[in-house]
Amino acid sequence: MTGSLPAAFTPASPPEISIAMLVSAVLFGLGLVGFLSRRNMIIMFLCTELMFQGAALAMVAAARDLMDTSGQVFVIFILTVAAAEAALALGLVVLLYRCRETLSADAWSDLGEGPRGVHDPEPPDQPEQG
Amino acid sequence: MVPFLFYAACAVASVGLLLLLKPRSGVTRSGAALAGLAGLAWMLALAAETFDAARGDLLPLGGFVLCALISVASAVRVITHPRPVFCALYFILVVVSGAAMYVLLSAEFVAFALVIVYAGAILITYLFVLMLAQQSPDENHGAEAVGYDRIAREPASAVFAGFVIVAVLGAAIFSPRSTTKSEATQTASIREAWSDLGAMPGLLLARAKGIDPLVASVQGPDGRPIMVILPDHSARIAVTHTDGSPTLVTLPPSALPDNPSRVGMALVTRFPVSLELAGVILLMAMLGAVVLARRQTELADEQRRVHAGRGRASEPTPGGAP
Repeated sequence: MTGSLPAAFTPASPPEISIAMLVSAVLFGLGLVGFLSRRNMIIMFLCTELMFQGAALAMVAAARDLMDTSGQVFVIFILTVAAAEAALALGLVVLLYRCRETLSADAWSDLGEGPRGVHDPEPPDQPEQG
Repeated sequence: MVPFLFYAACAVASVGLLLLLKPRSGVTRSGAALAGLAGLAWMLALAAETFDAARGDLLPLGGFVLCALISVASAVRVITHPRPVFCALYFILVVVSGAAMYVLLSAEFVAFALVIVYAGAILITYLFVLMLAQQSPDENHGAEAVGYDRIAREPASAVFAGFVIVAVLGAAIFSPRSTTKSEATQTASIREAWSDLGAMPGLLLARAKGIDPLVASVQGPDGRPIMVILPDHSARIAVTHTDGSPTLVTLPPSALPDNPSRVGMALVTRFPVSLELAGVILLMAMLGAVVLARRQTELADEQRRVHAGRGRASEPTPGGAP
């Protein structure tokens, strides 16, 4: 009778769990390396998404190991935060790109307002009417 | 003994990654890829070998290991590819192979949510912004990638930081765990799943009707189902037939609620406040994105008056706007 248990309720095979945990650690480490070594701002944020992926995989593996759904619910919240982060980060990147016309993070290493900062007025290129 | 082997595997993979981050030639690139793959395969073998319980059934692990290799290899390509658009495409590959691993870990709902939300929405947004902000190829570079995408910044220290992180996390993963919990965990999990099913009267009624077509109601006297969980993980519930006579129906373990039902149940019964907070976070992110994306223009005084609907600057303004 126990044989007809759904797969989610049978104990997980330990190698599967440890491989999933290892892959999640490696994904997190790769995301970290990418965030530190890439210079394109969008790719840097993509690497934070890579770290999110690693964390989510660890959550699902732990949920499988403990046969509990809380880890999967947590992945849904990770998805929420990732979506919010993507919207805000990409908005910021577009804003920064408008100012300097480059995606390089080094262009913003001085943390100051550049030759044309965000709040500088637009050049008056519109002809006065009337 | 195993930790030292694991650190060695990490070191081999790190050297491969370092060489991939600053490739000198095609030979270096392929050699580095081989070194990285060897280190990774060594790590995976160690991870599988740490638990000698399932020595015989490594074959079902094949698909899982394949997904793991695809996932890690495309993650490496995400951080080493000189073209940002290809990085995003490789990230989609990471997401899809991750979703396959989720399915193998019997987390089906999260897997499909991941594909829909990540690969379908977030990554398309990334691609959109990448193409929006792509610099037009000028005559100097042609179709070449721009310099800041080709040359990594401080790859040695970055790889060292990654090595430390993976080594520490791996040591934590390989630390011995208690294996006595599995029986009690399974019983508790099945009990919780049955009580989840008891909280969903419509689904419970459908399952009971699948066993006995004459069942009319699964409610007990107080409106809640009466359920007893048997030692063989099946559940016996008190039901009422269409003619009003009470009887018992035994649900087999295959009638346990499936993964989406359980995740949804946990979401609304155990984490309702977090669910509301997630909605607030999304709303705030939407507002923030709108505020960020709005083009800020400084209008001259005259234009500001015109836009405010106060007429021309020559006319006297009764409100006395500055």
